[in-house]
Amino acid sequence: MLAYVVRRVLATIPVMLVVAFFVFSLLYLAPGDPAAVIAGDQATPQDVERIRASLGLDRPFLIRFGEWLWRILQGDLGVSIFTNLPVSHMIAQRIEPTTALMIITITLAIAVAVPLGVVAAWKAGSWIDRAVMAFAVFGFSVPVFVTGYLLAYVFALELDWLPVQGYTPLSQGFWPFLENLILPALALGSVYIALIARITRATMLEVLAQDYIRTAKAKGLGSRGILFLHALKNAAVPISTVIGIGIALLIGGAVVTESVFAIPGLGRLTVDAILRRDYPVIQGVVLLFSFVYVLVNLAIDLLYTVFDPRIRY
Amino acid sequence: MRRRALITAVAAAGLGLAAPAVHAQSSAARTLRFVPQAGLASLDPIWGTQYVVRNAAALVWDMLYGVDSRFRPQPQMAEGHMVSDDGRVWTIRLREGLRFHDGEPVRGEDVVASLERWMVRDPMGQMVRALRQDLAAPDDRTIRLALSAPYPKLLHALGKQSAPCAFIMPERLARTDPFTPIAEAVGSGPMRFRADLWEPGRRAVFERFPRYQPRPEPADWLAGGKRIEVETIEWQAMPDPDAAAAAVASGEVDWLEAVLPDLAPGLKRNRSVSVGIADPMGSIGSLRFNHLHPPFDDVRVRRAVAMALDQHDYMRAVIGADDVLWRRIPSFFTPDTPLYAETGGEILSGPRDPEGARRLIAEAGRQGSEVVLLKATDLAPLKAMAEVSETLLAALGFRVEVAAMSWGEVAERRARKDPPSQGGWNLFHTWHAGADCATPAAYSAIRANGEDAWFGWPRDEAIERAVAEWFAAEDIATERAAVARLNEASMAFMTWVPTGLFLSYQAWRRNVAGIGKGPMPFFWGVSKA
Repeated sequence: MLAYVVRRVLATIPVMLVVAFFVFSLLYLAPGDPAAVIAGDQATPQDVERIRASLGLDRPFLIRFGEWLWRILQGDLGVSIFTNLPVSHMIAQRIEPTTALMIITITLAIAVAVPLGVVAAWKAGSWIDRAVMAFAVFGFSVPVFVTGYLLAYVFALELDWLPVQGYTPLSQGFWPFLENLILPALALGSVYIALIARITRATMLEVLAQDYIRTAKAKGLGSRGILFLHALKNAAVPISTVIGIGIALLIGGAVVTESVFAIPGLGRLTVDAILRRDYPVIQGVVLLFSFVYVLVNLAIDLLYTVFDPRIRY
Repeated sequence: MRRRALITAVAAAGLGLAAPAVHAQSSAARTLRFVPQAGLASLDPIWGTQYVVRNAAALVWDMLYGVDSRFRPQPQMAEGHMVSDDGRVWTIRLREGLRFHDGEPVRGEDVVASLERWMVRDPMGQMVRALRQDLAAPDDRTIRLALSAPYPKLLHALGKQSAPCAFIMPERLARTDPFTPIAEAVGSGPMRFRADLWEPGRRAVFERFPRYQPRPEPADWLAGGKRIEVETIEWQAMPDPDAAAAAVASGEVDWLEAVLPDLAPGLKRNRSVSVGIADPMGSIGSLRFNHLHPPFDDVRVRRAVAMALDQHDYMRAVIGADDVLWRRIPSFFTPDTPLYAETGGEILSGPRDPEGARRLIAEAGRQGSEVVLLKATDLAPLKAMAEVSETLLAALGFRVEVAAMSWGEVAERRARKDPPSQGGWNLFHTWHAGADCATPAAYSAIRANGEDAWFGWPRDEAIERAVAEWFAAEDIATERAAVARLNEASMAFMTWVPTGLFLSYQAWRRNVAGIGKGPMPFFWGVSKA
């Protein structure tokens, strides 16, 4: 097992190199010019050209890529074109809100979606099942920003229960931290809840039709025992796969959610950097997200062995 | 007690958590929470000339002179000045006791270094630089500028509000190459920048500088006593306009620099919020031609577009139904400013004449020409104007190719002089801040000096003559006459077409007082109860 983990971790290196190459190439090929943004609307083409030269953007692709890669290998993500601050510093400033939002959203989604899916499967065909599936269709169909605006309007503006926007670090108290994340987590989690609930239901239906479940029932085992000890554990592998895939959805959704609720996270940092063509920041954030995604996949693979002892690496 | 405050208190008590950060009233009143038009991603007003940088820089740095609301430069850091009889030597004396935020005194050498850096980047500064024979600081409070010819607009150049402003920095920062950003934001302005609290693009904090010495006169734009009535000003960028409007409605922020017209009615109904015009000079919409390539290299074709173009269509597309927020302008200049002129503007104010326009295009032999229109899809006003233009140009018989892209891409592509079929362009939309269009001083878009002109590279001697007359003018009557001639020449040549003047709203909580109107948010005199 340990050898497998080491092998997988080492395998992330070529993956990250390929990601780095594609990220750099795409940004190189993408139209847009940070020098023009910096220079402002009144600047002359000559001013723009001089800024471009001072940023080193007029140098050949291979030289720029080689220098960037060399720095990355040394753990240096570079310096933002606009802020003149290290990219690692900017990421460190923004990582807490995004991490907090994602953890709360995942926790909320699993806590709500898995029981909903299990109950829907157990009561398949009943009004409970239909209600859960109707909720799932709604959650999956309505865009995050619409859910976000609706939640903010009702719970923040009309009822005045929660703040409209912003983020308070955990260091300033748990409740101020939490109250800023409840609505964003609900908005972002709605899609995720719908996805996990549907997969849980489908997988559970399949498992509940297996012979060993019928045997368990024949032995007189209670519903709770059958559902959670036998069925859910056997359904856990595909569910955990979907949760892993959903992390990618969360990263994409966080970009929108952070904009709607003015949360200063990595999603907003990415959007701002793209709009300004702040290449080092875009490259740094995309590399980070890719690395997280690779690690999440590894964690999910390792979880399989917990849920199904027959799986061996 | 507000419902949320109650919930917060109950939640904290119930969960046995640390007391939430409920600020005392006095503490809240000391901090003004402001939502700027965009996030502050850099703070070097010479290197980066975006408006948001200029606005933040005006808190941190001061200037020798500052224009007031009549566009008159008034002494700011300067105590006064003397000009030699031949108008070629300017001697400026600094006020006593001026200090930078690091405690160092402001010296003549700081001013010299700052002006030298500014001169490289600013169009008016470049004119001064071309005339400069000597710029030196004979002593710590004196600056002497010797020119090869008189330059009557020097004080205007030093005090103008358009970016890049002639901000004064410590010499050690001002010696930085003008195309490289400075390493730290140290000025002598009324607020100190808290670099340790800066979250680029999201949050910027400014703290009152206790050693700042405001002038005794009342504040008026960049002139007069810049008295800061709060301890801290916190800029919180909110890219989503709905979130920003909701935040001011719920009292989470105090002042929004810009409010979308769609959101203004909702805020106007909120009894805790005031909504008003942000800048009465607004912005002038522009349809910019490329003069290098057919069909708009022919003045008849450019004038034909102007004959058919209806500013009403453009402004409705940009603003919507709120007629308070726009007006027609048969001029390249900003209405209600001292030099405003409509001479030659009949082509835009008279009845629209699409038939006449088509005839003129046919006469020029350019009917059915293919034109490339750059359409910025990420800036709502530009997208709206491009859509109106697409319809107009098609109605005039052009074959329109719309190149939809982000503004960043437009900014890159508009610099290309290649033919439109080879990656160039024929037309794009932009807008110009009304305050920048009040005089020819920093109005790059009005110039028609060919290769050196703004994008589109127009060339017209009558326009350049009128610009030169304005720069040489020594009294307001001569300036007015020059601007009238400039407007007439520009209308005849149709350098670009003004598509109307549009305004925007700002919004603030009613417990905030002293918010004025102007080309930028002025924080001096703003207080919070």
